[in-house]
Amino acid sequence: MRLAFEDVSYSYDGGQAKRRRGKRAAEKQERRADWGNAPDARWALREVTFAVEPGEFLGVAGHTGSGKSTLIQHMNGLVHPTCGRVTADGEDLAAKGVAAKVRSRVGLVFQYPENQLFATTVYDDVAFGPRNMKLSEDEVARRVEQALALVGLSVDEIGERSPFDLSGGQQRRAAFAGVLAMEPEVLVLDEPVAGLDPLSRADFLALIASFHASGMTVVMVSHSMEDLAVLADRILVLSEGSVFSLGAPAEVFADPAALKAVGLAAPAPQAFANALREAGFALNRALYDEEALAADIAAQLDGIANGTGEVAADAGNAAPGAACGDLCAEGGVDHG
Amino acid sequence: MAERAIIGQYWPEESVVHAMDPRVKFVLSLVLMAAVFCAATPLSLAVAALFVVGFYAASRIPLIQVVRALAPLLVLVVLTALLNVLFVQGGQVYFQWGVICISEKGLQSAVFIGCRLLLLLMGMSLLTLTTTTLDITAAFERLMAPLARIGLPAHELGMILGIALRFLPQFMTELGVIYRAQVSRGAHFNVNPFKGGVRTLTALMVPLFASAFRHAETLSGAMEARCYHGGVGITRLNPLALTWRDGVGTGAILLMLAAVIAVNFI
Repeated sequence: MRLAFEDVSYSYDGGQAKRRRGKRAAEKQERRADWGNAPDARWALREVTFAVEPGEFLGVAGHTGSGKSTLIQHMNGLVHPTCGRVTADGEDLAAKGVAAKVRSRVGLVFQYPENQLFATTVYDDVAFGPRNMKLSEDEVARRVEQALALVGLSVDEIGERSPFDLSGGQQRRAAFAGVLAMEPEVLVLDEPVAGLDPLSRADFLALIASFHASGMTVVMVSHSMEDLAVLADRILVLSEGSVFSLGAPAEVFADPAALKAVGLAAPAPQAFANALREAGFALNRALYDEEALAADIAAQLDGIANGTGEVAADAGNAAPGAACGDLCAEGGVDHG
Repeated sequence: MAERAIIGQYWPEESVVHAMDPRVKFVLSLVLMAAVFCAATPLSLAVAALFVVGFYAASRIPLIQVVRALAPLLVLVVLTALLNVLFVQGGQVYFQWGVICISEKGLQSAVFIGCRLLLLLMGMSLLTLTTTTLDITAAFERLMAPLARIGLPAHELGMILGIALRFLPQFMTELGVIYRAQVSRGAHFNVNPFKGGVRTLTALMVPLFASAFRHAETLSGAMEARCYHGGVGITRLNPLALTWRDGVGTGAILLMLAAVIAVNFI
């Protein structure tokens, strides 16, 4: 499914928003003026245009309050744009009945989904979505079993237990299964690994990557640029409700200064690579992860040791080793 | 949206009414209500209304905010007025259809009771609009303090009230998130509540209660970590103190009470 945002603006001011709809054309200029005078608060999204392409992994990044959560709630019609429209395969989500239909195809997992568990057994909780879709009990049973298996839980072991008796990590998996049981084509995740310990965090990200590998479209909101750099095909950066940049991780993280201006930092390896480049290292890749960076630095340092590198000349008087040490310290601060 | 749902939420402003001692305001708002009840004729009710409008002017709360605070309660006023129209009979009959009969006395009493109820609500809202919840609970606690001698847990009641008020907006927000999460899973909450409605309601209420318990545990831990051990020996950062404003306020309310009662006899 292709989810397209066309010129979407959203204001929490519901009453006024409704009145505006009627005279949308006449009012467009006036609204622009509004932003100039009072650039904050009133508009959560401002003329956002992009599309979630079928099968892609789209990362969404942005400073707190940049409109990420509002944006993803547009994706299954929980909120409708004040101006502009969101379409799913060409159908306007604000049209009557469309949002309800789309909700079974776009699975939205909220932040801390374990807080939404409610049923007396894990089975019933996971079955909530499929039952709302009016599926037969056999089909519901099949989907519950499959969804729980997907997140690494067994319906035989925990199906009859209360979801409140599970451990925190298991609760989140069960809540996740509740959305997967609807077998969505698009999975929208709001900070899926927030508050998890490093181990379950890695497990969860691997799980999400496997969903994407199996053909599911994934939209993931995250504060961790490292995770997005590794997982996402494209990254959308929001700033104060507007699209700040949209593109492959390498493009988005190419300009760390601009990112810093909107309250984000490039992933630590990338930031380190950028700083090394300024100090005269020849690092050619567009996007670095830890291993690639380590390999390239090692190659460069080997070259210097053998007296064949041109790095020392570029770096001026400072010995490359010392420069690296300084940068390491800097990188450490950024990382913390 | 959540903040609009709270009736008579505090509206910060620098005015005489805001600066008054919350204890005095608490008591005076009760006297104000008594004064409105004392008004037995339309004329004395008009006098009471004049005073209430005057108090609102002194509080410098914008008119639009007053309307917003009262709007959810207007249903109550309209309903009461309607009941009066239908059940109070006498005088000239204007309209009759079956058991429905609209008469002169019915309309008179509807308008009178409606206005009186509106004034009562305005009086109550004036307290909550001009006093922070923290101050209201402090006032409540201090006014109950004498009853602690006969075993009433005044401090605890005040603390419960304060915590409940503090978490109201929090739970409104959380309910919104839970609602949207369950709607995302295909739940319909606007269907017939008598048919399967209870089952979907549990999808909202159970997570909300679970969250309330979670908050309660965290909060009690945080309070103990700050050495909270009940009301014994607790001091206030900003001790409540009476000022000239409280004298003026008391005078104004007593004047209102006297005026209303006096006009009753005209």
